[in-house]
Order: sequence, then structure tokens, then C-alpha cells
Amino acid sequence: MNAIDLRIHQALDGELAPAALSAELRRAVERLATAADLLAAPLPFPSLEARVMTLIRRPVPSRVRRLVRWLATPRAVTFRVRPVWSLAFAAVVALLTLFPIGHAGPDIGEHEGIAQFVGRFPGAQSVHVVGSFNDWRPGSIALEDVDQDGVWRATVVLPAGAYEYMFVVDGERWVPDHLAERLVADEFGRENSIVIVRPARR
Amino acid sequence: MDVTAASSDAEVVARVLGGDGEAFGLVVRRYEAGLLRFAARMLGSRDAAADAVAESFVRAYRHLASCREPARLRTWLYRIVANRCKSQLARRQIADVSLDEAPPVADPADTERDLERAEQLALVQRALVRLSPEKREAFLLKHVEGLSYEEMAAVTGERIPTLKMRVHRAREALLQVLEDHE
Amino acid sequence: MRVWLGLALVAAPLAAQSARGRLEGRVPGAAIPVVDSLVQRALAEGLPAEPLIQKALEGGAKQVTAPRIVAAVQVSLGQLRDARDLLIRAGDEPPATPSEVTTVAWAVRRGLPGPVVERVVAALPRPPRASAMHAVADLAAHHFDPDSAADLIIAAIGQGLVRERLLDVSAAAAHELQRGHTHAEALALVRRELPNVPASPKPTRSAVARARRPGDATPP
Repeated sequence: MNAIDLRIHQALDGELAPAALSAELRRAVERLATAADLLAAPLPFPSLEARVMTLIRRPVPSRVRRLVRWLATPRAVTFRVRPVWSLAFAAVVALLTLFPIGHAGPDIGEHEGIAQFVGRFPGAQSVHVVGSFNDWRPGSIALEDVDQDGVWRATVVLPAGAYEYMFVVDGERWVPDHLAERLVADEFGRENSIVIVRPARR
Repeated sequence: MDVTAASSDAEVVARVLGGDGEAFGLVVRRYEAGLLRFAARMLGSRDAAADAVAESFVRAYRHLASCREPARLRTWLYRIVANRCKSQLARRQIADVSLDEAPPVADPADTERDLERAEQLALVQRALVRLSPEKREAFLLKHVEGLSYEEMAAVTGERIPTLKMRVHRAREALLQVLEDHE
Repeated sequence: MRVWLGLALVAAPLAAQSARGRLEGRVPGAAIPVVDSLVQRALAEGLPAEPLIQKALEGGAKQVTAPRIVAAVQVSLGQLRDARDLLIRAGDEPPATPSEVTTVAWAVRRGLPGPVVERVVAALPRPPRASAMHAVADLAAHHFDPDSAADLIIAAIGQGLVRERLLDVSAAAAHELQRGHTHAEALALVRRELPNVPASPKPTRSAVARARRPGDATPP
């Protein structure tokens, strides 16, 4: 990235009249101004008002439920704690594990883990995930859009390992997972996504 | 006092804090276009932008009492949205390379100028997404949302010289890409 | 090695039987005999058959024509052979372990140059190497130079990190990129943190509670 003439910055900051610049510098100013104009063009969006007001009118979850949700949400946190505090924290976590809230879910084997699939498909009637973990059988793992917001999810227990997969929308449209960061050519002219399932226990 | 489209931000905030939650709808209508555009350019995704801005409005409503200068509500809202966008980018929740929009589909009614503009916009957006989140934010706030450096300092919590440097670097990077694609 | 060969001899006919059975009804009939013969050839060479079967099933699911399925399976077989040769060049004693062949084939498909893959194999004399390979490939997917990516993962291995923790190393470097650092800075930062890169969060209890196995009925 090359530094550009300071006068270009001054012109764009309104500190120097473009007319005072050479033709070349003026061109650079215009190029950037045009880029800004393009970005500033209004983007057609449906109004968020109804959505926001609906959320606002919902009752706020109680403090206890919020605390439980916060504790249960995974975060990358680095603690530097005194041993006595880490013991106290461990005690809290142990208590929560001993008295689980809700279903325990399936027993996860030592060499199994969880894969979470998420995709944004507003307007879709069905979304499935198909891949080498289910012999590419369309229809065997359905995602769900529980709150009808166009975001479809599935959480699947799988043996630990790496798998290729795609989403199938409405039974016919094959789509790679745009949120996955790993892609590989499928030899059929498309790209598969790759998921790596880590052992849940380790 | 009834709030109308002509009411100032301070009046609307006072009304909401006084118990009239419905008045917050006016805040949404007033600021959603700019915030959505900003978030869409930051995240490179319209869907992600809609989510980020909707969640930001809800957060703003719930914490409205902490908005110290209701007359500068706009800056405060940009701050919430900017923080949310940056934390989403940091958590890699957005595939921030491609936009949701399909490439422009040629319509017989489109002039050549329209298609050219669409292609140029796609080029600029791709260049923007290659900037770091901080430089992208600085360029968008300055040149797209039209904030002053003082307002940008209130949004980002950064010092003005730092913001100027980020804007300068963003301009340099964008110009390089634009010139390379002449 | 003798025990392994013995198992392979038993496993081969079973695999051959099960290949046809798995393909029938899922893959165009015209492709099945050819795919089956490719599977047999792979087994005879001590290569894994599963990637070939999966490729055929994938083609069937994606409603691809028989000739294209056959071509894709042939390409896959070629990739497995190349992977086996690479492993042996890198120092693994023949016959190469089928799971390692699969791992190396993945690494090359994900874009890692052969010499880089060889370096990682050599740095990890004993399998499994899947996590190390994917970690290097993850970094390459984020446009880190593959050699520098391999350097980082090999350094992490040297600091005692193994298996899935190596994926945490690549995730940490990608995270630094998102925070605005250059590739070189990101690598240096993560290298300094080794071996204490943040671990990826374990699945939440609510995620576990929701989890289903493939084929389980969808909850109402």
C-alpha cells in the first residue's frame, strides 16, 4: 500500500480546494469521491420497525435466566485468577453440571462430537445438510427454523473427524455453507464445505 | 407532549424514558436507513446487517437511560452498531469476503451506465472488505455516513489523530485497488 | 504389519461386497460396475476404498451423470495414489496407513503444496496427522503462506500441542488477522503465545441437549 500525496487527503478533508490541485491529483480525489458516492447510495431494505418493536414488547427474561444463559454460552475467555477463585468457579460449574436444567440430550461417546450447522435461507420451505457423514443421503438431517427468522439450524452428533457437506434448500438447490471457512472442489463443478468434528469430551 | 416526525431526538428520548415505549418506533424509522447501510458495508452482508442493526436498536432501547446526550442520539446509535459489527467480525461470524447480493443481472432496461456503476460498486465493496475492520469503519463513518472527526471520536472512542490516520490508510488502500483495476 | 495385512485381506472382500450394496439405488446403474472395479483396484493397492464410495454416492445425490461420476472417482483414486506416494517419500514405511492416505489426499485437495505436506508428515513421525494437516490448510485458506503456516504448526507440535489443539493454533492466527494484523504479525503473535493459545469453546449443554444423530426423527 503506497502513501499518497498529502494534498489528496487535504482536499478530501475539505482543507484544500480541488481546483488548486494538479490534474493528476484531482483525478485521484475524484476517484475516491466517486467510490464514496457509490457506497453512500441508499440500500433498499425493508423497515426494521415492526421487528424491533416486537422484540421490545417481549418481556425481558428474569435475571436468573439471563445469568444461566450467560454461563452456558461458550466464550473464548482467558482468566488469570488466584487459585481460590478458580476453585470457587469450578464449584459453580460443577453444581450446574450436577443439576442440569432441561434435557440431558444424547449420550456422547468418547470419539464423538457435535457439529452445528447454521444457514441463512429466508423464504425456504426446507433445508437439509447432506454430506459424507450421512452417505450423502438428502433428507436425513433436516435443519429447523424455529423462530421463523430465516436462520436454519441443526445440531448433530457425529464421530470425530472431517467431513464434506453441502446444504440442500427446498429439496433441490445445493448450496455450500457460506459461514464455513473450509471449501474444497467436489469434482462436479461445485464446492463442498468441510466440517471438522472435535471429540466433545477432550 | 405527543411525539411527531418533527420532534427532536431529545424529546423522543424523554418520551420513551417517561414510559411511552411505542415512541421508540420513531427512532427506528429516523435512523435505520443510515445504520443499515453502514452495517451492510461493514459486514459485507445485508442479512447480517439487518440482524446487527435490529439487535442494536433493541439494546439501545433497553439502555436508553445511559445515553448521556440525547441530542446526540445518532452518534450513540452508530457507536452501538459499530461495536456490534466489529465484534461479529472478530468472532468470524460473517464470511466477510462476499456479499449476499447476486452479481448484477442484466435487465434490458438497464443502461450501460447502470451496469458500469454496479460493477464499480462491487469492486469498491471488495476493496473495502479487504481493509481491517477499524480502517473500514473509519472510512465509512467519514465518507459514507458523513460524520465529523469529533463525532467519529464519540462513536469509536479513539483519538482524532488515530482516526485521521485510519482514514488516510483506508483511502490509500482503496485508491490502490481502484487504480489497479483501471 | 503382518496383523494389519491379515485384517486387510479379511476386510477387502467385505468392503467389495458392501461397495455394490451401498451404491445400488443411489448411483446410476451404468456407473456401478466401473466404480466397483475402481474400488477393487484401490483395495488391492492397500488404499482406502471409502473416499471412492463417498465420491460416487455424492455424485448420485447431486444427480450427476454416470460418466461424470466415474471420472470423479478416477480422479479420487489418482489423488489417493499420489497421497500414498507422498507419504512414503516423506518417510512413512510402506504400506502407508489408509487413514493417513485419506488425510494427505485431503490436504492436497485443500491446496497445500506437496513439499509442505511432506514437511508436516516428517515433523509428526507417528499418525494421526489429520488435525495438523487441516490446521495448516486452514491457515493457507486464510492466505497465510503455506510454508510459514507449516512452520507455525510444527512449532506448536514442538511445544507439545497435539491433535485438536493444533486447530486452535490456526484459529488463533486467523483471529489475529480479523483484528487487523498482517499475516506476518499474526503468525508472530501466535507463536509467542504458544503453547497457551485459547482453546475453542466446548459445546454448550443446550447444544448437546438439542443434538440429534443422523436419521433420528425430528422433534415435533
